[in-house]
Amino acid sequence: MKHRLTRQELLQRAAFGAALASIPGFAAACGGTSSSGSSGASGSQQLADTLRFSNWPLYIDIDPKTKQPGTLAAFTKKTGVKVKYTEDINSNSEFFGKIQGQLSRGQSINRDLIVLTDNEQYLGLMLDKGWAEKIDKDVIPNITNLVDVQKHPGFDPNREYTLPWQSGMTGIAYNPKLTKPILSIDQLFEDKSLKGQITALNGFGDTLGLVMLANGDDPSKVTDASFKSAIDRVKAASDSGQIRQFTGNEYTGPLSKGDLKACIAWSGDIFQLLPDNPDLKWNIPAAGGIIWTDNMLIPKGGDAYTASVYMNYVYTPAVAAKMAAGIQYVTPVKGAQQVLSKTDPAMASSQLIFPTEQTLSRVHLIDPDALKNQSYNEQWQAVLGA
Amino acid sequence: MGFLHRHRGLTPYLLLAPGIVWLGVFFLVPLGFLAHQSLESGNFAVGYAFSWAWGNYWDALHQYHAWLFRSLLYAGLATLLALVISYPLAYWIAFRGGRWKNLLLVMIIAPFFVTYLIRTLAWQTILADQGPVVRVLRDIGILGANGRLLATSTAVVAGITYNFLPFMALPLYVSLESIDKRLIEAAEDLYASSTQAFLRVTLPLSLPGVVAGTLLTFIPATGDFINAQLLGTPHQAMIGNVIQSKFFNLLDYPGAAALSFTLMAAVLILIAVYARVIGTEKLTG
Amino acid sequence: MKFIRRHLLTAYAIAAFAYLLVPIAIVIAFSFNDPAGRYNYTWQGFTLRQWQNWDGVPGLKDAMVLSLEIALLAAIVATALGTLIALALVRYGFRGRGGTNVLIFVPMATPEVVLGASLLILFLNLSSFLQLGFGTILIAHIMFCISYVVVTVKARLISFDRSLEEAAMDLGANELTTFRKVTLPLIAPAILSGLLLSFALSVDDFVVTYFNAGSTVTFPLFVWGAAQRGVPPQVNVFGTVIFVVALGLMLINVLVQRRREGVPA
Repeated sequence: MKHRLTRQELLQRAAFGAALASIPGFAAACGGTSSSGSSGASGSQQLADTLRFSNWPLYIDIDPKTKQPGTLAAFTKKTGVKVKYTEDINSNSEFFGKIQGQLSRGQSINRDLIVLTDNEQYLGLMLDKGWAEKIDKDVIPNITNLVDVQKHPGFDPNREYTLPWQSGMTGIAYNPKLTKPILSIDQLFEDKSLKGQITALNGFGDTLGLVMLANGDDPSKVTDASFKSAIDRVKAASDSGQIRQFTGNEYTGPLSKGDLKACIAWSGDIFQLLPDNPDLKWNIPAAGGIIWTDNMLIPKGGDAYTASVYMNYVYTPAVAAKMAAGIQYVTPVKGAQQVLSKTDPAMASSQLIFPTEQTLSRVHLIDPDALKNQSYNEQWQAVLGA
Repeated sequence: MGFLHRHRGLTPYLLLAPGIVWLGVFFLVPLGFLAHQSLESGNFAVGYAFSWAWGNYWDALHQYHAWLFRSLLYAGLATLLALVISYPLAYWIAFRGGRWKNLLLVMIIAPFFVTYLIRTLAWQTILADQGPVVRVLRDIGILGANGRLLATSTAVVAGITYNFLPFMALPLYVSLESIDKRLIEAAEDLYASSTQAFLRVTLPLSLPGVVAGTLLTFIPATGDFINAQLLGTPHQAMIGNVIQSKFFNLLDYPGAAALSFTLMAAVLILIAVYARVIGTEKLTG
Repeated sequence: MKFIRRHLLTAYAIAAFAYLLVPIAIVIAFSFNDPAGRYNYTWQGFTLRQWQNWDGVPGLKDAMVLSLEIALLAAIVATALGTLIALALVRYGFRGRGGTNVLIFVPMATPEVVLGASLLILFLNLSSFLQLGFGTILIAHIMFCISYVVVTVKARLISFDRSLEEAAMDLGANELTTFRKVTLPLIAPAILSGLLLSFALSVDDFVVTYFNAGSTVTFPLFVWGAAQRGVPPQVNVFGTVIFVVALGLMLINVLVQRRREGVPA
């Protein structure tokens, strides 16, 4: 299904192309590769000089020799497109709060590619508000490498605007030196020996998602009743002092130092704490865990063509394998594991990076509509103290 | 009002102009946008529109007065603590510092070179549950057997105090340093003990610094959110946390704006009362 | 009695400085830490490799240099503007004096989130003239520092003995000379304090900068982002260096003063 350019998009692209052409030295800087990678789609499909990519910190593979992102350097070598890579996203809510001013005024945020998580409302809101450009699927043949489970997410059913970057899981981490194994939410909230030494995450997608599973409810189809029983449970645990604090990823410090015996935690963080604290354990709770995905998104005003070419590059199994080894979260690209098993079989068999089907069957998505429900958000913020 | 200059017609305006213009453009105009926003209604999904929504202010006061009081309380406690801790320090630098005064002043702001987050992480290391400080406090009974310092209101107030210490210490120093030592000598020549000399001469002369320091500490501390967020539990949330939440999580920009103006009004009222109590000449000269 | 009091005060001052600088001590100590992983939370052994590899974190040095540049410029401009306002407020009566006095307090009372977000709205409306970045950060920092300088300098001016200026002018000095030779030296500590406070505010600012930086990264923004995955020990190295350099500069200042006073160095 070929994407027909609307008149507005055609004018936008023409204007963008004209603006680029007027930058002195553009042709020289481009290195004469402006038409490589073009699949003959209509309109002025030229690769931009630079891809402006905003991402989360330490969320890309780093080449130990150059100390720079290896796959980005390889992309530049292959296509001639320089990548201006900025690690300025450290919170979905804060980043959204920063860019909504410009986007709501129809201004570009001067980025071609950003990465937002699907366990908070902001990804869905970007799409609802029309603040995302459509990805150019004509130049992403590798989209077929997307794992099946990611093909039709609730917030973007036909993958018209987003593609997964990496996924992670939310579960329970505990310090076996300080406590017996904590393997369920029931234990986490009710075991008195943990009082005041556990934390929960401040995103309700993660925390309430886990509690709903512990209550026997389905987090991918949230109802007022299931929400209420989950939030009441969390509130009770917070009021009684069982839950010490609600955190973003600040739990890593206290967990390392022994202030916390257990906490709701993200899989990748624990993996990265292991070299310093080899004893820490992370598990999917008995009733099930939550899986979340960071998605690539082209903000309005960004260069959809160049960003899409990059997305296609990311979905090459060989590239995805390098990235998976560096980032150490769950890759959404089929074939990456096979490629990696040839060079690093130990990492290729890690459950945290390449979870088996059995593991994946125990993790669930959070209902994207529930995330955008204003009443739910207000009730949750009240539990957090505001 | 003291001695007024001959050319008072134009000079004050010339002196004021650069700074006031800067504040006018880069503060008052944004404040105007904020005021406009505070009277909007709607929601994020459909958008906000100006509608003289004074209800936003009523909601702010009605729902969040507890947070407002808590913020004023924590800020007040922190200011008092900062004053008690900083006064002797500023006194020592002013009267005993000698050539080293400037170096000592730089040392006071040195913690700011390493950013708030690093300072707080360092304190979290020192005050960790398993760390030496908490262990000692538990042993001597100040803390219960399972007591902790982090994630408590003590930690929040201590955090605010620590982070605003320079804002109290430097103005105090400014005032103390300007005191003519001969006045104290004169008092002592007239048979005042050093305590009397301090209470009757030094302390009153340092009051402008005390006033300045308390204002520079209390006012910004009321809007603080980060100490409560990192060092407290939901029960320590301040009005700043509510405003953060409204802005970033609930996308309720009018609500955040109205709440901000409510806080600002409360603070300005308190300053007016403070000025009345201490006498406006110490505030405005 | 006086002996005890004299030394009690000094002992207190040392204790107070210890309290102030304890986080710096931790920062310095952990710059020599040898963590196996990405986090620098627990002590795992002494090493010099963080210092040898001081420039190993991409973007950190640039962020630090940028923050220092902005802080220096913001401090100088804010102190200049603020001192002028303070002079006007304390020494003159004029229409709008009361209002100006109130205006000075309002920026300090405004929560940073809405201050930053509203300023961003202004910049977005001016986007054809002004791009988000160094300039907008600097403008914002100067804006919120002015109030602090005004209050600090006012505290000095309120108790200023005008008779010294009168004496100078009686002896034939004009206003500018009097200001330069009498007033300025006497209020110098206040101006220095204003400079230091502004510098501290600017180098440490996060929220307002976050909104108005575009994709420019200052040191606090860098650290906040890095904290997601563990603050690298190189941050501690930089913090230590800045502290030592600042101390060093002030020590030179002390030595220069001693030489001026004719004391053998």
